[in-house]
Amino acid sequence: MKTKLFLITFCLLGYFSFAQEAGDIVGVWEPGHGKAKVKIDKIDNKFYGKIVWLKEPIDPVTGEPKVDKNNPDESMQKAPLRGFRILKDFEYQGEGIWEEGTIYDPENGTSYSCIITMKDENTLDIRGYVGVKTFGRTDTWRRLIRKK
Amino acid sequence: MFLINLGHMNYNYKIFALLVFFGFGMNTIQAQEDEEDYSKYDDFELEDDTPVKRYASPKISGMSPQKFIGVSFDAQMPYKYEFSNVTFPQSLDNGFDVDEENPAINETGRARFTGGFRLNTNIPIISKSSFVWQSGINFMDTRYNIRENLNSPRSPTLLPDGTEARSLGRILNEDGLRNINWTNTFFFPMNETEFIVFQTQMDLSGNYGLDEFQSLSTIRYSAAAIYGRRVNDYFRWGVGVSRTYRVGNLNYVPVIMFDWTSENKKWGTEILFPARAYLRYNINQNSLLLAGFDLEGQSYRIDDYSVNGNSYEIRRGEVRPKLEFQTKISGYIWASVQAGLRYDWSYDADELDGEADFFRGFFGDQDFGMVNSFENPFFFNVGLNFVSP
Repeated sequence: MKTKLFLITFCLLGYFSFAQEAGDIVGVWEPGHGKAKVKIDKIDNKFYGKIVWLKEPIDPVTGEPKVDKNNPDESMQKAPLRGFRILKDFEYQGEGIWEEGTIYDPENGTSYSCIITMKDENTLDIRGYVGVKTFGRTDTWRRLIRKK
Repeated sequence: MFLINLGHMNYNYKIFALLVFFGFGMNTIQAQEDEEDYSKYDDFELEDDTPVKRYASPKISGMSPQKFIGVSFDAQMPYKYEFSNVTFPQSLDNGFDVDEENPAINETGRARFTGGFRLNTNIPIISKSSFVWQSGINFMDTRYNIRENLNSPRSPTLLPDGTEARSLGRILNEDGLRNINWTNTFFFPMNETEFIVFQTQMDLSGNYGLDEFQSLSTIRYSAAAIYGRRVNDYFRWGVGVSRTYRVGNLNYVPVIMFDWTSENKKWGTEILFPARAYLRYNINQNSLLLAGFDLEGQSYRIDDYSVNGNSYEIRRGEVRPKLEFQTKISGYIWASVQAGLRYDWSYDADELDGEADFFRGFFGDQDFGMVNSFENPFFFNVGLNFVSP
């Protein structure tokens, strides 16, 4: 009996120690390629992420700060990439999953449906996809903190 | 300071004041975002100190969109053909020498139509930064509308036991040729620069009907392995080897990958030689033009001639210099239109001992069962594709 009680307590402790809250995603994250840093904020119960740092902030062709030149909306093609929202409208679904949002790829100016899964407190799996989740690709993002 | 008494203003002025107020307010919010001190993010570092392994991306900027599912219709313009006698070098030791240039022509005529529907799939099974596995079933139906010349065939097609079989022209006209293949592609990035691509392909090709598949022991296996380097977002190259049926019969050839996009993203190359090589011009983000060639081929079993436990196979290989236009229709649906020349590389035939294939390569001296030739007509291909831009 004592063993069973211990096991149940152990499992519950394990569950609660890994249980995630909606706001756990808020913070600064680094995509797998390491070329940018993205800050995720909560705004009106939804989550948004914007580029706050670029490894190469200057466009080698123009010599100016990089802009969203691949955006299909011409009026946005001069918007600075730093500060640009690439994650939009995510809602927390529970169990460490944020859905209903989109991720924007400045490389080709395309927005994809997206699901975010928190693997642990410092790791996100970000899957962008077209149509259904099968047709997509998963990138791993890692949490950043201010160290200085 | 924004508590404005609106009571004594006229209506238009009130509206103007509200617009100014909200406009100013929104600008203030925007300005707050724009004025964020981004330099503070220079100091942000990984929470845990575990070294992060970064991987080469499987994409190059500006390349044509990846096709997940595609349906197309392919058609060749009319052309003349010449088929030799059907011989059985394995059963009767009476084949054509490799360097046979003037085989005994038995059938002549005109293929008024050659073509059919093609279905291609390439589904991501696992797609992560560290590993990509894509798998797809592909189907290609080739129908023929053959008009034999008068007095063709000149003599009946006789099997080794002396029984008469249908002529090849009649087989093509009545059955056509089909190919079903299962292709798996694995992308292993080793680090940010280096990667390995491994591809396997299993083909079932012949004059079978969809209601009566031919034996799975006639599946032909192809594979390719490439070591590559992704130099930057705009350029990667690779070298490797492949076991291929693209020239019709089994061969082992080197492979060269060279994918490049210019800095302004207007021009580029998409080369996986010898399978395909294109020069690309990106008209805009939603349309592009490719100029180059495809090398297509397979070994098609002709059931009528496969006797004595052997497999009689047409080694169909063709080079297709072409122009291709791709454009976005809506969302992730893109259309493609191709036009070019279908150049006959090989339509000769081999009788395989048992059902196992053999390697002739470019220098082997195994006799052919048939030596055939085609004129080279124009072709076109129109398709719809579900893509990832």
